Parts: sequence; C-alpha cells; structure tokens
Amino acid sequence: MSPRFDDLRVGDAVPMLARIVTSEDVRAYAEAGGDRNPLHRDDAVARAAGFPGIIAHGMFTMGYLAACVTTWAGDPASVTRLSAQFRAPVFMGEELVAGGRIRSLDAATRTAILELWVRLEREGTTEYPIRRGEAEVVFPT
Amino acid sequence: MDRAAEGKTYGPIAFELSSDRVAAFRTLFGGPPGIPPTILTAAEFTLLPTIVGDPELALDFARVVHGSQEYVFHRPLRLGETLSVEARIASIREKGGSGFLTIDMAMRGADGAVVAVARSTMIEREMTP
Repeated sequence: MSPRFDDLRVGDAVPMLARIVTSEDVRAYAEAGGDRNPLHRDDAVARAAGFPGIIAHGMFTMGYLAACVTTWAGDPASVTRLSAQFRAPVFMGEELVAGGRIRSLDAATRTAILELWVRLEREGTTEYPIRRGEAEVVFPT
Repeated sequence: MDRAAEGKTYGPIAFELSSDRVAAFRTLFGGPPGIPPTILTAAEFTLLPTIVGDPELALDFARVVHGSQEYVFHRPLRLGETLSVEARIASIREKGGSGFLTIDMAMRGADGAVVAVARSTMIEREMTP
C-alpha cells in the first residue's frame, strides 16, 4: 500500500528491502542492462583485478535501490529523479540491504526528497555499495 | 584522459523501451507494475562502449569504474516508445591521480522533446604502484 502524501513526515523510513546477490542474477543483469564488462561475468578476470570473483554491476545495485523506492512510492512513474554514488564492490553471496528516509517534503508540489543507501555486512564491517543516493518522488493530487 | 574531448557528442542512436526489456528488469528487481527507472542504463549502453573505447579520450578501460549515476525524468517513460539517445562529454577532470569523466545523455521522444537525462561519472583509477 503506497503512502498518501499528507501522511508523510520528514524522517520517515523508506521500508528496507534485502536480497542475496547471486552470480545467476548478475549474469542475467549483464544481458538485460547491456553491460558485458568481463569483471561482472568472468571470475578469472575479476580475480586478476584483485577481487575474490565476479562483482555486481553498480547498476545492478542501483536497480535494486530503485525497486526499494518504487515499491514504497507505488508507481515507478512518480520517481522524477534518482541518483547514487557507488562506493564499494559487491561480491556474490552477499546480502544487499536497500533503504532510506524522507529528507524533505514540499506540499506545494507534493514532492518528497529521499536520501537512500545500500549497505552490506562484510567481515564485521558495514560497507556502503551505494551512499548519498537521492530520489525525488512526486505524489498525485 | 585527454581534456580536449570535452563537449564531444556521440549519436543519436535509437533505443526501444521494449516489453521484453522491461520484463527482464522487473523479473530481476521486482517492484510495482510500470517501467523501472534504471532501465535507461540499457539506453546508455547503446553508446557507452563507443565512448569508453574512443581513442580521442584515451581512457584506460582496465582502470575504469562507475563512480556515480543520476536520472532525471521530464515525463514518464512509455512502454514500447523509441528514444533517441545522444551523449555529450560534460567534463573531464583529474583529482588525486584519478580521472573523472562525466557523460550526459539526453533521451528524446518521437516529438523531439527531452524525456529524460542520464548523467554518469566514470572514474579512471590511479595507477597502482
């Protein structure tokens, strides 16, 4: 059930989504998104670059963050801006957790600005594959 | 990277928001009915390999990572529409030994009006000793 603009408050959380990243999903993404960089498809190439195996595309992680936002908003067409900074690689088998909160609201334009992130736990440390993500969501009148 | 390439344009090239593509994104990421916003990455990839491989830019592809990404929508995307994608090198900067390449892509609808703008920053990482 998507929220009504009038019920939103600054600081409200965008409900978190969590998923385990698999090599099948990342390889399927390479086809769907058109990014066939071998770093995301070929373990030998990824190891040569210093990773334990293939890494997820930044846009794989951002696609998942977008799903977190559109699930909350209820309609993908209500997202008028979406941005992300990619800060850490994502390895296969890791659990991505996407979430965020409402930073500001503009009643005149029925617009919510969200701050967003995607995090994961690796060896006891919280890493942020995406930080300083932002979205602008316009709600219907 | 060579800063002389700032302002250079690529395309336009056509990209169809096909139902197959939309279905593939929705299967992978979930979310409500409609067109997932990051599907525009597939439109960008109609031109990105050409840009990254452009000898005028002199990028070392093995050191390139995706630094940041932004999409701005001027109107909702429409299933089945064909977008005309044109790229422009917005800036080339160097900071702390790394190069920052910012590419703007305008996606236009059949009427020529801009539907969405994608801005991506690619980082050419510092050479490791």
